[in-house]
Amino acid sequence: MKRRQLLVAAIGLAAAPMVMAQSFAGKTVTIIVGYKPGGGYDATARMLARHLPKHIPGRPTVIVQNMSGANSVIAANHVYNVAKPDGLTIGTFNRNLPIAQLTGVDGVKYDITKFAWIGSAANESTILAIRADLPYKNFEELRKAKETVVIGSTGPGANTHDFPLLLKDLVGVNLKIVSGYSSSADIMLAVERKEVDGRAGSFTSLRPFIERGVVRPIVRARSTEPGIDKLPVDESFAPNPRAKAIMALRSAPELVARPYVMPPKTPAEIVKAMREAFARTIDDPELVAEGKKSKIDLEYMPGDQAQKILADVMNQPKDLVAEFAKYIKFGE
Amino acid sequence: MAKKATLALAIGIMLAAAYAVFAAKGWQWKAALFPLAIGIPLFFLAAIEVAWAFAAKEAAEEPVPNSALPWAWMIGFLALIVLLGFPIAVAVFVFVYLKVQGKEGWLFSIVLTAAVWGAFYGLFDMMLHLPFPAGWLLEWLGLAA
Amino acid sequence: MLEALWEGLLLVLQWKAFGFMLLGIGLGFWVGLLPGLGGATTLALMLPFIYTMQPVEAFAFLLGMHAVVATTGDITSVLFGLPGEATSAATVVDGYAMTKKGEAGRALGAALASSLVGAIVGAVALAAAIPVVRPLVLTFGSPELFMLAIVGLAFIASLSGEGARGMVRGFIAAGLGLLLATVGQDPQAGVARFTFDTLYLWQGLDLVPVLVGIFAIPEIIDLFVRGNSIAGNAPPGKVAKGAWEGVKDTYRHFWLTIRCSLIGTFIGIMPGLGGSVAQWMAYGHAAQSAKTPEERKQFGQGDVRGVLGPGAANNSKEGGSLIPTVAFGVPGSTSMAILLGGFLLLGLVPGPDMLTKHVAVTYSMVWTIVIANVITVAVCFLFLDRLASITEVKGHRLIPVILVLVFIGSYTSNSHYADLLVTLVFGGVGYLMVRAGWARAPFVLGLVLGKIAENYLYISTARYEAAWLARPVVMVLIAVAIAVVVYPFFQTRWRKRHG
Repeated sequence: MKRRQLLVAAIGLAAAPMVMAQSFAGKTVTIIVGYKPGGGYDATARMLARHLPKHIPGRPTVIVQNMSGANSVIAANHVYNVAKPDGLTIGTFNRNLPIAQLTGVDGVKYDITKFAWIGSAANESTILAIRADLPYKNFEELRKAKETVVIGSTGPGANTHDFPLLLKDLVGVNLKIVSGYSSSADIMLAVERKEVDGRAGSFTSLRPFIERGVVRPIVRARSTEPGIDKLPVDESFAPNPRAKAIMALRSAPELVARPYVMPPKTPAEIVKAMREAFARTIDDPELVAEGKKSKIDLEYMPGDQAQKILADVMNQPKDLVAEFAKYIKFGE
Repeated sequence: MAKKATLALAIGIMLAAAYAVFAAKGWQWKAALFPLAIGIPLFFLAAIEVAWAFAAKEAAEEPVPNSALPWAWMIGFLALIVLLGFPIAVAVFVFVYLKVQGKEGWLFSIVLTAAVWGAFYGLFDMMLHLPFPAGWLLEWLGLAA
Repeated sequence: MLEALWEGLLLVLQWKAFGFMLLGIGLGFWVGLLPGLGGATTLALMLPFIYTMQPVEAFAFLLGMHAVVATTGDITSVLFGLPGEATSAATVVDGYAMTKKGEAGRALGAALASSLVGAIVGAVALAAAIPVVRPLVLTFGSPELFMLAIVGLAFIASLSGEGARGMVRGFIAAGLGLLLATVGQDPQAGVARFTFDTLYLWQGLDLVPVLVGIFAIPEIIDLFVRGNSIAGNAPPGKVAKGAWEGVKDTYRHFWLTIRCSLIGTFIGIMPGLGGSVAQWMAYGHAAQSAKTPEERKQFGQGDVRGVLGPGAANNSKEGGSLIPTVAFGVPGSTSMAILLGGFLLLGLVPGPDMLTKHVAVTYSMVWTIVIANVITVAVCFLFLDRLASITEVKGHRLIPVILVLVFIGSYTSNSHYADLLVTLVFGGVGYLMVRAGWARAPFVLGLVLGKIAENYLYISTARYEAAWLARPVVMVLIAVAIAVVVYPFFQTRWRKRHG
């Protein structure tokens, strides 16, 4: 009799925390991606969706829905205003949305700091790489270049455009930016054709070409990854504090490269449970193995940290923002 | 009808081209170049077509049947989708159309509606997880899931 | 090379790989057939399933699925006038017109047979081009791509109605298409053009809702008003019988089919032109093969050549677009981008390695395309009579089903209600065009080529200033464009002189 009572008591004690914690049993969690299938945000979300159920209490079904349009502003608006804060909707969208809000883009109906932040699933580092057969081996040499170096880009708002633009306009590097390529892959083709001399972009997307010896990385933005940490940072070449601040502002969102949020006013326990689930999922060896194969490198940054970084972005003085907006427009 | 349709198109395009040129004038030249390069000739071409259409004699042709009813059905379907949400709208529309317009029997209407709805639901909801927002009407009535 | 070719074939013929290919074909069949099940979307959804497969098996699956979409997409275009895929829109113009004359079987037979020819030509091109593909693609820079867009636009002249007035209307339609292509944020200055302060228009008009509206809606109205079946008053039984006739048509116009396949392959190889261009250029070329103005008038009314051209091109471009994907890692279309993701997942790095070290895998892809299409076409022929007889069903029974397909097809692009509105609006435009006797093909050409033309023009000028006009390939293409534009006039003159 006594032993059974002890057993029951023991089970009761063990079960108590689980009963109090959030359970998503029997529910479906939807991750809304602000882009069409096939892109980086979508691939990351789908990979997470495959492994999240194991780590969310109650093992819910996790599905992905695509809500493309306006460079994911539409998806962000939806998650902010329409989705219910019941923990069943997660949103992931363009990391540059804080910039859209900051520069006062028409149609922005969200406040990036008021989302219930789960965190960021990765950080992205932007680098500028130029064709390996050019004589400039490092940034100093590039800076002294007499001939114009042509950089291909997709359009304003993309890091292919904005990163070199600041190098050109603020640091004075002799670059010419040619826009209009339909994708960064097309720019690489143009590099191989010698139509352009290089491109900027995420290290992840440029790595295969660096390894093949097509291009050489020259300079990077603030955020770093193994393999490029030895590169000089663009901000270190800024001629004055204002220029440095502008560059820092541009690269801030890259630290929160794969943002995952829930609607504002989602209860704190749910947010906490999700954050833990994400942290565990990103460390999950199966996910890591899958990520290695598809070259998706995930790294968890907790929501409060992400929120703080973006709150800093939002709190910049008005004159700095005005100056910033002269160079950087929200686009991709 | 051909003359009326041509006029409608040509005048419409003239207006669109005029608007485009007008709006583009205020942009930076890089953004404005193409719209202007296309809009200005388009305006004149459309104007020529309008003149042509007015001048041409109306050829005798068979009367064109009134298309108001099919348009009503299509716009109605769109309204149903917005009001009731896609899945319910599909079922309602198919059934009502078959009964009212197609004048089909009950059994056929129900079976075909069920088949279409089933295929639709299975493919686009269950498999592809397309987001189908609840209809506005249902939300007003508090019936949304 | 022969050795690698043989090795590639053996890779595909292994049991597991073959089995997966069949699975892919089964899936791709429906994906192409049903509007709304986009090839690209479904490919993305299938990616997770290939994690556990061997590379060859995974390719057999993905490619098997993808290779077939272009073939079955033509089926919905022919039967219902509703493009099953954006790449099957050109087949609607004459294919559905034939169906309305009661020749659905013949149209389907022609579409399927030309699809097979196109697929084979594309695959052969992929195989043969492997040694020369890198220099070939590298020769075509932005100036050349701009000129290709101009050549594409030159086909407007051949696709317009006849006479001076027809030409004017063709150019007006094309102009409208080009203008609408500028809607959205421009990639030069980031200005939001013609977006009327809506977020929806920020990224421009999506092609699928517009195509579905402008082609399918007028036909639905027509079917409604007629009240009978799609096939109209064709004698019963005739509809299904024509399949073999359609195949014979492919043989009768063999060289046209081959030429259109080559056009498709070539356009497919050029990355950055997008997936929808090839079919329209092929259609334009097929229209040029009409020898007299009376024949020319038949295009749009149900000339089988209008089915053969696009049918072949939209398949051959698949083989073609594998080339930049495999050889450079530059995908030629969204589906290719996803396939590329698949390659990386399986540890294959696109680039020179795929043409040397892993060339057998590349050849296995070639074989997959060929075999998948042979199987699909064979299966379709088995069911062809049943498919064709759908067009004899009472119109009012089909209309609600077609409308559901129209709306869902339009919705799945962006999951945005506004797309449905766009479909109806362009349905209205299409309806007016049909009533007014204006050709719709030039409009689509303008819409599809507008962004490409503008962007490559800017890139060319920014990079080379005026010097790009003097590049050899550019000059050749200028000559081609001029030839394409004046060809119809010369034809008439030549006719008159020898007539």
